[in-house]
Amino acid sequence: MKPEVDQILGISSGTLMGSLVPLLPNTFAIGSASLLGIMMTFAAQEYERGADIRAAENADMRTLFREAVSQVTDEKLKAEVSMAAATEDRSLKISALNAENTELRRVLIRLQAYAEEHGDRTLQRRIWDVLKASADRRLLRLG
Amino acid sequence: MSDDLSMRLESYLRKKLDQPSLRVSDLARIPGGASRETYRFRANYGGADRALILRRDPPASLIETDRTTEFRAYQAFHKLGLPVPEPVALELDGAALERPFFVMEEITGCEVASILNPDPYGKDREKIGRQFWSVLGQIAKANPDQVGLGDFEGARDPKEAWHHEVARWEKVIDEDEREPQPIARAAIRWLKRNPPPPAQKISVVHGDYRTGNFLFNGAGDIRAILDWEMAHLGDPLEDLGWALDPLWAHGDPTHPAGLLARADAIATWEAASGLKADPAALAWWEVFASLKGLAIWISAACEYAEGRNTDAVNAFSGWYCLAFHNKVLAERLSA
Repeated sequence: MKPEVDQILGISSGTLMGSLVPLLPNTFAIGSASLLGIMMTFAAQEYERGADIRAAENADMRTLFREAVSQVTDEKLKAEVSMAAATEDRSLKISALNAENTELRRVLIRLQAYAEEHGDRTLQRRIWDVLKASADRRLLRLG
Repeated sequence: MSDDLSMRLESYLRKKLDQPSLRVSDLARIPGGASRETYRFRANYGGADRALILRRDPPASLIETDRTTEFRAYQAFHKLGLPVPEPVALELDGAALERPFFVMEEITGCEVASILNPDPYGKDREKIGRQFWSVLGQIAKANPDQVGLGDFEGARDPKEAWHHEVARWEKVIDEDEREPQPIARAAIRWLKRNPPPPAQKISVVHGDYRTGNFLFNGAGDIRAILDWEMAHLGDPLEDLGWALDPLWAHGDPTHPAGLLARADAIATWEAASGLKADPAALAWWEVFASLKGLAIWISAACEYAEGRNTDAVNAFSGWYCLAFHNKVLAERLSA
């Protein structure tokens, strides 16, 4: 589609904040409309990257689980990690990627707590690498 | 709606202040966060025209806060001579304006810094910075019993202050998270495994002392510390850690709050409070600050997503601020 959605949102945000906000009558309206303009720029960023960052995060967690499964001695957790490692993203819809992401994150939380309890520093570092990459990807740019 | 609210407010104030001819005019909503609806208005009585602020509970609040706490904090620190608006009236009954509210003096001729502004203080950065960190030190120095706030919610045992706050915000995350939060959970475990030393004293903690929550004028004077709704008793380093958080640094973490250099800021706070900011203890409270931030943003996202409070501030907090603090904590805890 041309123009792309992120372009439409970006230009609409610029029009809202540059041309319409100055016409508003009071500080509450100006503040609220400006914030809506910022939301539109965030939505533009997310339109372009939303599926990609979720798919990358899910792939990172599955790779981590495949590497970690042999180090887990707790049978219940081992089974969860193994099962999660074998899942895949069957759709690129955001809702489907989020549903997968939620399940993978639950296992990641349990695995990280396990690594801390067992003093497994290598696994802890590896998990933090995944979490740092996720946090970096999800950061939003202002302007 | 505003005309109706104006008339009802006028009727209430006539009785409350025993001023049968009092007139309310120019009622207009202004920005004031998502946890209270904020309006400015004028009240003419006794031959004078007074600029006042109405803070009313919204239909649903971001964090369940007690307006009595906020009102009493204004009373206590206004009496103490700190830059705080004079409180005028507190109404807990919803009959007058549908929801509880309070009225206080409006501090006019001032501005509030937006956290999105890279240089909100300009040439007055140093002057405002000295006041900002010094006032926080004075809040820390105050004796809660002597200022009449000794019964505030919070920890009374210096050894329990950290645990009380971690438990409080963990509960918020437990109740409000709509998706698993691995970084928040890792931070909670870290905070519990590495407790700070006991508080040097139990102080009144403002709870949200930061850039954006005070009014300053064109002469570089701080005229009002606002938003005391999360005030409680606890470790004074909690407020210091929150005010130092990189989210409030206007893009330059070497100058927390967009004001003084970090070491100067801490020294100013120490001089005013008579307390020490032990680096290890402060480092713990700074991790806690980012975790508390995450809890607030998770709660904001929940309010918005579930349609209870769709103020754009909640969407911004649950999106931008949540992502920001996830990154801050991931960097701090993985180091």
